[in-house]
Amino acid sequence: MPSTTDAIRITDLCVSYTAVVEEPRDPDHSKRRRTRKRDIQALENVTFNVPKGEAMGLIGGNGAGKSTLLKTIAGILKPSDGQVDLWGRPHLLAPGMGFNKTLSGRENVILGGLAAGMSIDEVREKQDSIIEFADIGGFIDLPVITYSSGMFSRLAFAVATHVNPEILLIDEALSAGDAGFRDKAVAKVKEMGHQAQTIVVVSHSSAMVSEMATRALWLHQGIVKMVGEVQVVADAYADFQANARETAQHDRSIADRR
Amino acid sequence: MTTPDSPTITRRATRTGVPPLAQYLSEAWRYRTFAIYWSRAEIKSRNFETALGRLWHFLNPLLFGIIYFIFIGIIAGGGLDNTSRLGFIVGNLYAWTYFGTIITTGMGSVHGGGGGVTGQSAIPRIVLPFASTLTAANLFLRSLIAYIPIHILAGRGLHWEQLILPVLVVITGMFGLGLALLFAVLNVYFRDVSRLIPHFLRLWLYLSPALWGYTRLFDRGIVETLAQLNPMYWGMVTWTHTFGGPLSSEGPSFGFALLIFTACAVTTLLIGFFTFVSREDEFAVHN
Repeated sequence: MPSTTDAIRITDLCVSYTAVVEEPRDPDHSKRRRTRKRDIQALENVTFNVPKGEAMGLIGGNGAGKSTLLKTIAGILKPSDGQVDLWGRPHLLAPGMGFNKTLSGRENVILGGLAAGMSIDEVREKQDSIIEFADIGGFIDLPVITYSSGMFSRLAFAVATHVNPEILLIDEALSAGDAGFRDKAVAKVKEMGHQAQTIVVVSHSSAMVSEMATRALWLHQGIVKMVGEVQVVADAYADFQANARETAQHDRSIADRR
Repeated sequence: MTTPDSPTITRRATRTGVPPLAQYLSEAWRYRTFAIYWSRAEIKSRNFETALGRLWHFLNPLLFGIIYFIFIGIIAGGGLDNTSRLGFIVGNLYAWTYFGTIITTGMGSVHGGGGGVTGQSAIPRIVLPFASTLTAANLFLRSLIAYIPIHILAGRGLHWEQLILPVLVVITGMFGLGLALLFAVLNVYFRDVSRLIPHFLRLWLYLSPALWGYTRLFDRGIVETLAQLNPMYWGMVTWTHTFGGPLSSEGPSFGFALLIFTACAVTTLLIGFFTFVSREDEFAVHN
């Protein structure tokens, strides 16, 4: 049950939105297509809490609602029902957010830092450290549009990871730049995790979740399947996936025999 | 260690979709420095890699005005030796360009992801169209430098109404921002809106007394009444007065036109604001 030491408290959270989908006008004329609006229930009655100082991992397949949950905690999406209570300011790790590619790297450090919620004094104070971390040499004064994708990732990641949030939200943001930089990036995120009071991390890598989180929440089609100690939840999810694969294989072999 | 019982941030569904206003506005205020830097970036990127760079901020409306002056002089038979008309057209077009820029850049700022801001951050989305309004105001004030010699050449003189210029910049900004917010929401549901806006703005320009003087509608009965239903009728009457004084001793007074235009601007901004904030997470879903 929720305690007064919670950093995040989610109560009966539902999130739905309308998506525009394109589909064939009729089965016989597949070339003729029409767009229709479809209501999507991304999260349904999700309830859990994350105590202050804890790291929570979100596990689940594609379309389970992990990113939607993270975005709702971050304040990007609104609840359709239920409530999100936060004790502290959340920060979604979003490399490159707020960047303008016609500006120089140095100017983007300021713009990206402000977009990430830093004050102008804080950005100026951290500017040298960010540039040093990005390690892109003289390119820092050239327009970002001239950067390779690896250089862009380095700079974007450097800015995003120099924020000191109370609640850190990570959504598959660790694929930054070349292999050498990736190790540095992972180490930096872990360092952020130690500094932040609370973390929620989404990753397709169970190893990454296990390494960063102490508890995990397994979402399946927008519904909470399980919450508990990270290894127990990760094992249950792995069994579920194995069973699902076996069932699919079994169905395919029956179909082949027929 | 215990945390205080009341949370720092609470998010819940509201019946209208409008978030708690005090929380929303204080959060938007927190990003005021970001808005200023975003606006500077918009200005800088406008003429990225062009040879004339910032000169285009002056040249664009100037060329636009000269083209219309020639067009009206030849087609409408007004002649090309009327410098007073040139001053009138260029001044009004600078004002119109300011108004139109707010709408097009304000609406565009939240579409296409807004540099990742709409889909990846909790920055109140209204910060982006607001920053675009700052951009448009900045560009307009720069363009006034190019207007001054034309104003002198056209013999438009000094008028007390010119003191109201800063107020008029704010009111036009409010009206443009209100419309930008409304069109931005409409564009989420009907993507064609962004394609229609340039045509709509051009038609609106022709229907407002920007290229033609409002005195042309005197004693035109129903036509004048219909023209006065257009908020930019009052907007352009006010701008015409501000740049060059009244065109005639008859017709709407400056104070009355300013009052009507202000009422339209405030109403539009309020409607635009509430519509926008009640739908703003749609920008995250549909970008």
